[in-house]
Amino acid sequence: MVFSQLIEKLIQETTTSSLPYFGAELCLSVTIVLMLLVRLFNADRWLPAYLVAVLGAFAALWCTYSQSAQLNSGSVSDSQTFFGGMLIQDLFSVYFRVFLSLFVLLTIALTALTGIPDIEDGPDFYSLLLGSTIGMMLMASANNLLILFLGIEMTSVPSYAMVGFLKGRKTSSEAALKYVVYGAGAAGVMLYGISLLAGVLGTTDMSLLAVRLSEAAGGQTAGLADPEIRAVTLGVLLVMVGLAFKLSLVPFHFWCPDAFEGASAEVAGFLSVASKAGAFALLVRFCSALSGAAGTEDLLMAFGVSLGVIACITATFGNLAAYNQNNLKRLLAYSTIAHAGYMLMAVSAMMVMQNSGHAQLYQVDIQKSVEGLLYYLAVYLFMNLGAFAVIALARNYTFSEEIDSVKGLISQSPVLCISMMVCMFSLVGIPPFGGFFAKLMIFAAALKAGEIHWFMYVVVAIGGLNTVLSLFYYIRVLKTMFLDERPAQSRAVPIRLFSWEGSFVAVLALLVLLLGTLPRLMSGLSATANAAAHAVVSQL
Amino acid sequence: MSETTQQLILWLIPVAPLLSALITALAGPGALRYKSHLPCWTALAVSFVCSLILLFQILPSVSQPRTVASETTTSESAESVAIAPGVTAAVRPQVIAVGYEWFQVGTLNVRMDLRADSMTAIMLCMVTGVSLLVSMFGSGYMHHDPGYPRFFAAVSLFVFSMCMLVLAGSFLMLFVFWEAVGLCSYLLIGFWFQKPAAAAAAKKAFVVNRIGDFGLIIGIFLIWQTFGSLSFEEVFGGTALLNAVAETDPGRIQLICLCLFLGAMGKSAQFPLQVWLPDAMEGPTPVSALIHAATMVTAGVYLVARCTPLFVLAPGVQLFICATGAITAAIAALTALTQTDLKRVLAYSTVSQLGFMFMALGCGAAGPELVTAAVTAGMFHLFTHAYFKALLFLAAGSVMHAMGDVIDMRRFSGLKKALPITHWTFLAGAAALAGVPLLSGFWSKDDILAVIGEATHSAQYGTFFRVIQIVASITALLTAFYTFRAYFMTFWGEEKFPEEAGHHPHDASPVMAWPLGILAVCAVGIGLLTGPTHLFAGTLQRIQGLTAVETHGLHWGVMAVSSGIAIVGIGAAWFLYVLSPGIPASLAAGMKPLYLISNGKFFLDEIFQWIVVFPLRKLAALAVLFDRFVIDGIVDAVGMVPRALSVLPRQLHGGLVESYAGVMWVSVVAAVVVVLSLF
Repeated sequence: MVFSQLIEKLIQETTTSSLPYFGAELCLSVTIVLMLLVRLFNADRWLPAYLVAVLGAFAALWCTYSQSAQLNSGSVSDSQTFFGGMLIQDLFSVYFRVFLSLFVLLTIALTALTGIPDIEDGPDFYSLLLGSTIGMMLMASANNLLILFLGIEMTSVPSYAMVGFLKGRKTSSEAALKYVVYGAGAAGVMLYGISLLAGVLGTTDMSLLAVRLSEAAGGQTAGLADPEIRAVTLGVLLVMVGLAFKLSLVPFHFWCPDAFEGASAEVAGFLSVASKAGAFALLVRFCSALSGAAGTEDLLMAFGVSLGVIACITATFGNLAAYNQNNLKRLLAYSTIAHAGYMLMAVSAMMVMQNSGHAQLYQVDIQKSVEGLLYYLAVYLFMNLGAFAVIALARNYTFSEEIDSVKGLISQSPVLCISMMVCMFSLVGIPPFGGFFAKLMIFAAALKAGEIHWFMYVVVAIGGLNTVLSLFYYIRVLKTMFLDERPAQSRAVPIRLFSWEGSFVAVLALLVLLLGTLPRLMSGLSATANAAAHAVVSQL
Repeated sequence: MSETTQQLILWLIPVAPLLSALITALAGPGALRYKSHLPCWTALAVSFVCSLILLFQILPSVSQPRTVASETTTSESAESVAIAPGVTAAVRPQVIAVGYEWFQVGTLNVRMDLRADSMTAIMLCMVTGVSLLVSMFGSGYMHHDPGYPRFFAAVSLFVFSMCMLVLAGSFLMLFVFWEAVGLCSYLLIGFWFQKPAAAAAAKKAFVVNRIGDFGLIIGIFLIWQTFGSLSFEEVFGGTALLNAVAETDPGRIQLICLCLFLGAMGKSAQFPLQVWLPDAMEGPTPVSALIHAATMVTAGVYLVARCTPLFVLAPGVQLFICATGAITAAIAALTALTQTDLKRVLAYSTVSQLGFMFMALGCGAAGPELVTAAVTAGMFHLFTHAYFKALLFLAAGSVMHAMGDVIDMRRFSGLKKALPITHWTFLAGAAALAGVPLLSGFWSKDDILAVIGEATHSAQYGTFFRVIQIVASITALLTAFYTFRAYFMTFWGEEKFPEEAGHHPHDASPVMAWPLGILAVCAVGIGLLTGPTHLFAGTLQRIQGLTAVETHGLHWGVMAVSSGIAIVGIGAAWFLYVLSPGIPASLAAGMKPLYLISNGKFFLDEIFQWIVVFPLRKLAALAVLFDRFVIDGIVDAVGMVPRALSVLPRQLHGGLVESYAGVMWVSVVAAVVVVLSLF
């Protein structure tokens, strides 16, 4: 083929098939350029950056939503790779991109309400925010190990800057620096892992991983004695380090409390939900890409179980460390770590069931475990953002994010306190809030996986125990807000229900409640999550 | 009328009061204040008109003769109560408004649908009509009470709940609104919650009702387990299944019925759960009239009547119902003899009349052919009772209003001249309650006595029903006596006002007088309209589980006896309280123990206090100790463990980049080493 023909074919493919799938990312990219242009022409006085950003996020949401409608109606094929097989378009990817667009929209709304960043810094901040979101979207639709790396880096680099965005504050810069150091380390390790994988298996295409792995195993039950398998195992391990860093799994979580404490609550809220969602999307894709290789079931099962071990350690560690924290953001950072542990249980259950040798038998349950994860993420979006939003809104009046600053807040701002209560009860997993059902689905999946490997029963037990443990420190915050007396010299927090701020958190809290009480909404969400799970699981 | 209009009308009946409740609750304290009655009046008027439309829509199809097909099906004597599903449409006119699916769990599909048949329509007209009048009266009675908007919000909410209760098409929906009316009752008994007595009475009503509700929900569980459905249509309509269960497992049907009746006992204040109703008079008098006399307390009667297809399969439970009704009626009537609080006399009379209704319902035990007559009599008495008892309560309220909230009959007398409107309307109500011939109470009580009379011919339970008959007759006599005792003590004799009343007690204002007048007309005339014409029986016989009965003529014998009873009772009251007022005191002194028992309300409250409340208090105290030392101790211990364990993670987080990186690298290396060496 002549070079010019190749170029032509590439252009042809890009414009006709790839670009439409890339609509949301394009919208966000255009928004970034627009915001910078607006400032260039000194128009940012009358056209605040957040307005442009909101419009861009909305356009992205609309784009992804219409894509999901297309996929659901069956007018396009269920699973479609594009950009030369680098990215993949299916319901799973679309679910995450809708999720991310919605979340970035809410985050922008929150930052507009709290006034972080100020008008001058707006374009910078929102460029970073939207850029990071594009990275996460890439993670969600990655079909190639290189895109995996690229997505993670594209997410991380703007995140470092956002953590350090409060320029005058020493803690903020320190947090950003720590984050960068770990990020760089983890990225290096992961890249090494990727090169190992690519070197042994001869491909970076994730959809080929299982086939190549099974070829490497030679069709027999493979042990680590085989040097190729050993190299692959190391590669997987090292890639997992990179993902574990993004997911803040123990022992790669150290950056998380420090970064959250230094960053503003809005940024912490964004990172705690969005980057975790992207990383989970990637993890599920990576795991299911490996699964099903003939001859490596035992190894992959061991991988699944060790994910369970890490999940248990992470959840327990996060919950224990959250005790005695006096900074609300730091407390929630540990809670974030613990929740990553719960969510990892779903992935672990998926891996165990997929590599049991009876994957067909467990098809429904595998889907259910991924569905549980997706449901959890959706509820987690609202409840965690709600909790961080309350902290951010209260901080604007009290200038503090310590627990003591919200003492007796119920007397001044019932809406903040009640929203916080709903979010925290949901985080604990108390019915009838959404968090309960999300946790229930994940534990149910892990319980089912217990039929295959006994350790999954231990995982469920530890998960349940952790739920009890976590109750104490969440309740402590609520006790401070509801039962303590508001100190006389403390600053007033006059946020009413019928204000923008009040209604914002109230709506988040209401959604958390409705996701646990409104059967129609719940079954709708779980059906959507199930369809998305089906898309990723059925690729086997 | 088109289908859509029909649905709209059916939905409007409950929705209008609901809207009014919301509007009053939201705008009441601010915008509406002392105009809060306006949304309530409007909504209730709308509901009433819609109920009437519904009634007249159902009536024509009811009064036409039954089809041949249904005759043949229903004339099979043994299964005469069961109507084959095939003929339901032709026989049983009913309107169903399609609502929405509330939830679906497994095979349990709970829908919010409205279902109306003739019994529903009659209940609806009665509920909305009486509540409209009561709310009008209430706006006069409650004027310038600080809780004015709250009152109308609660009344609207109550009417909504009651309408939904009556319109419920499934047991679950019935239960939901059964609880909702209980809630409204609680809110309204404790309306003046600053008064300790009112708060205590509200709590008592709630707790006692809880015992009954417990039975009801167990009964509903059992129905679900037995029949696999909760909808009336499927449970009552599944003749084959009903009969099969009755044959294979009669104990289960009995248990279900017993549980359902336990619910009815709580709500309708039957012995021994009647203790809450007299105390409920702490609420505002219009509330007593509406909820604790005319409507809510009859929900139990409605439940039993509605579940006739079940109860008819459990004659044992029917006997139990009959006996409970008789005991309640007698005890309440005896208690009412010596009470001096006008509202309490009326409250005990309500309990007694509810007992009468249950007596009638229980007569179905004597034979399937009596079931329809029994249900008709019970429901007929429920219907007439609502009017005259609401009237009596409102008139008592009017007395109370004029007397400066004094209700003790020993402190006023001879109000005949001062309060002419109140006097005449009270007299109309009292005469109706006493069963003076041709007034409404006469017809319905006569029906009940007639049914009991017929039940005595039963071969199996003849003796039982003869005892019931005697009790019923004596109670009827007592009813006439205590009603007119109250009437004579209040309105006759020398004119005497308590000092709270001021110098010139004023009679009911127009807004209070009109409802009184209308209710008085109803109390006098409604029996004449529906009694001798058998309109009521003709309407009711078409509902599920009932069969057509030939409307035999009037029971002349029974009528003569009951007229005699009424006249003797009234005469005795006149003799004792007007002619020679000294006798009651000497009688009371002469029969001290009996007087004390009656005046002390059979000491039921005290007995409950000792055998139920006291042990439970002790148990609660024990539970508190257990909770404080054992449970709290465990929880504290569990709370201590993580606190102790959390030291380690904190030590790791020293804030030093080096230590963090150290842990991270050590972990990676360890993992690599493990992987490489393990296999």
